[in-house]
Amino acid sequence: MASVALREQLNQLLTSMFAEGLLDQQFQQLQMLQDSGSPGFVAEVITLFCEDSERILTELTKVLEQTIVDYQKLDAYVHQLKGSSSSVGAQNVKLACVQFRQFCEETNKEGCIQALNVVKHEYYHLRNKFEKMLQLEQRIQAYDSKQQN
Amino acid sequence: MDGSTCKVLLVEDNEINRVVVRRLLGELNVRIEEADNGKAAVDFIREGRAYDLILMDKEMPIMDGHEATRQMRSLGVSTPIVALSGNSLQSDRDLFIQAGADDFLSKPLSRGKLAHILAKYGLNHGD
Repeated sequence: MASVALREQLNQLLTSMFAEGLLDQQFQQLQMLQDSGSPGFVAEVITLFCEDSERILTELTKVLEQTIVDYQKLDAYVHQLKGSSSSVGAQNVKLACVQFRQFCEETNKEGCIQALNVVKHEYYHLRNKFEKMLQLEQRIQAYDSKQQN
Repeated sequence: MDGSTCKVLLVEDNEINRVVVRRLLGELNVRIEEADNGKAAVDFIREGRAYDLILMDKEMPIMDGHEATRQMRSLGVSTPIVALSGNSLQSDRDLFIQAGADDFLSKPLSRGKLAHILAKYGLNHGD
């Protein structure tokens, strides 16, 4: 019964993430790739995404702190983040990156600073939800293992 | 063609994209090699490696997808090259076709898109 309650919590969390626009159908593609042969595939991809995103956000912050902004470098980093967020279904992060690239193209420093803040906000909000999701999955797996033994 | 021997070269600089596509192609019973930029992909060709299909990303460091495609064609590569891009702009497609690509897929890639492109080029994925 506890496992059922946990699964219900997980389903509700995922439903809300899709409803909020945090995730799109690409995330469902990832979920379909997870099976008994690759039980940790989604967690692996999410972990990689978070590590990479935080690295990129650090670099973006550094570039924008310079007196003379290298917009080409900035755009390259945003492009990377847009690509990986698109691949994992991180919709709001991806959309924020699209807007950011627009400001890069316009060499609009103020716009880029604002856009970076939006990307950070969307990313950290998503990361928080991902952490909850993975914690619930781990609890479900632990409970199921215990039941089998 | 037997899906179990179908070999695809994925040219993509983004590691997360490679992880996802690797898994998608694995599900479709396709062997995959990977290059993280256009130059590495061209070097594979120069080494004599052969593929049934090449998936070529557009924006990459060192050498982008347009240039890698041009160089592969100038080396006599006749393998279908499918351009990948996060944009689905006609101008993007046109530039890639001019460079020598045969087809175009917009990212993110899905199982359905990959299955379709494999079938289009007669590469039975054994699905």
